[in-house]
Amino acid sequence: MSDVPCHKSLYLPSECEIIAVTDLTPGEKLFRVRRTDGAPLGHLPGQFVQVSLLGWGEAPISVASSPTRGGVFELGVRRVGSLTCAMHLLSAGDTLGIRGPFGRPFDLPRLHGQDLLLISGGCGLAPMRSLIQYCEDRPNEFGRISILYGAKSPAYTLFKDELAAWEASARFACTLTVDSSPGGECYGGSVGLITSLIPPLTFVPDNTVAVIVGPPAMYRAVIAELKRKGLPSDRIVVSLERQMRCGVGKCGHCTIEHLYCCQDGPVFRLDEIENLRGAL
Amino acid sequence: MRVLTSDRLDRFFATLAQTWELRLPILLPDGTRVIGSPDDGPIALLGIAILSKPTAAFFPQQETLFTASGGVLEEPLAPPRPLFVLGFTPRDLACLRFIDRFFADGWCDDIYFRLRQNSVVAGLSGYCGPGGTLLPPAGGDCDLELFWDGNSWLVIPYSEAGEAIVAELPDTAPPEAVELFRLAAMTPPDENEIVIKRASELLRGDRVPDSFWAEIGDRCIACTGCNLACPTCTCFGVQDWRTATQVERSRMWDSCQLDGFMREASGHNPLGSEALRTRRRIHHKLAADPERWGEISCFVCGRCDAVCPTGIGIFAVARELVARFG
Repeated sequence: MSDVPCHKSLYLPSECEIIAVTDLTPGEKLFRVRRTDGAPLGHLPGQFVQVSLLGWGEAPISVASSPTRGGVFELGVRRVGSLTCAMHLLSAGDTLGIRGPFGRPFDLPRLHGQDLLLISGGCGLAPMRSLIQYCEDRPNEFGRISILYGAKSPAYTLFKDELAAWEASARFACTLTVDSSPGGECYGGSVGLITSLIPPLTFVPDNTVAVIVGPPAMYRAVIAELKRKGLPSDRIVVSLERQMRCGVGKCGHCTIEHLYCCQDGPVFRLDEIENLRGAL
Repeated sequence: MRVLTSDRLDRFFATLAQTWELRLPILLPDGTRVIGSPDDGPIALLGIAILSKPTAAFFPQQETLFTASGGVLEEPLAPPRPLFVLGFTPRDLACLRFIDRFFADGWCDDIYFRLRQNSVVAGLSGYCGPGGTLLPPAGGDCDLELFWDGNSWLVIPYSEAGEAIVAELPDTAPPEAVELFRLAAMTPPDENEIVIKRASELLRGDRVPDSFWAEIGDRCIACTGCNLACPTCTCFGVQDWRTATQVERSRMWDSCQLDGFMREASGHNPLGSEALRTRRRIHHKLAADPERWGEISCFVCGRCDAVCPTGIGIFAVARELVARFG
């Protein structure tokens, strides 16, 4: 076989330095990271990276910050497996490996001029934050922006300070809810599923795009509410979670019928995937 | 069309070994054949079907992605000499063509092409199928093809590399052998090929109910033999191996028939039942790949049916599916 033009080192991670680690919730931390070669990550909102710790392997993690915020980027990481447990033991000055950015980002040109409903649940707020920050930094490019966020409990609410700032900002309409508020927690906000936040909304379907990022159980219920409000499938955008082992469409773990979530997604328009078995 | 007689095979391979790292059909002590190094056993171009996937020459069961030692990451080197791989049947060559395209598309997989690039692939056809059955000529998809007419090998080059390799062989193919080659090329599709195409149509037309996959799934014992034998199965997992001095990150074949194949960190599992996993195995080859790549990715080699202990290889499932739904 003659020459095939290959990117060299498809599976070789680039070294990155951790600048800061902050607790988001009892189970989630935010890692502020930069590449040690000084190059920007070069991502767009909605993309992910393969985070690598030698001896622990790799895991796909969404980028939680906007490229408009400079060369440093942030990763919100839930402690859930061996790699993320090891990651939670790291601190500023430690290093980790990164491959990427990978995947199809949010279609920003298509969102321009539209009113946006940014709906996230649980740690889905981390990738959504990348888009929210982008909208914050490019205020003239988008219409009215509504942020809807649902968390398991007040303690497991991510980015509390930023949510408070978005609530206070004239730029956003920001509404929060928690599934339950156990006694002993200081919380005076709404209690209920995120679907309860949608019926009171008023929006013009022809000029609105909804973006949904959250746990798998959330999608069908939220989509049903949005459709009840008249929003068609091509105006609903979802970012799907799958087990992406390679990030480059080779390992086969993230297929949705003929699509590879890591390459064709993770961001999809609903009409692209709603009829595919197992997508939602 | 050149000719290679059996008594000249050893010399032919010895000459090739000066330039290439040879992978040839080898007879193992247990009577099976594999594509391996001549050091592994006697060369056996004729005999029973080779059940291990021939594409493993370029996509081995486990291979290193990189090693890390003292903060330095090193990728594996290309082999000192490129591979010469003989033993692909015409159907196997179609499989290789498919995975070449798969690994080159989008993000080009440098680890695969580390072995595949500059390699020479030689097909085997003619009366060298199991029990001396006829394998129709490939007519391409390889650098050269060896066609057994029952007495000697006709050697047909298809690439510059193939031309160079056969240049020293006598150009004395007897007319009756050439005619045999021509007739063999006109062999009509066999029954399995027709059934696979029909099953693909039914799947793509959404004519197969979930209850069918539940029945087939009940027969699966998750041995993963189908995936491990299939030349177009390319799924892999990635893992780190730690020793006292280094970390090795490698990839290893994985199987969509295992419960954890798609399970996500959240616990959500898009393939959480035997029914869904069995459907995925068949649907991927016969419906998803045609949608993505424009062709069915089962090339009717028969390996999964040969290795499946419970009789749910792709031919068996396709036959049942066609009998019941179309």
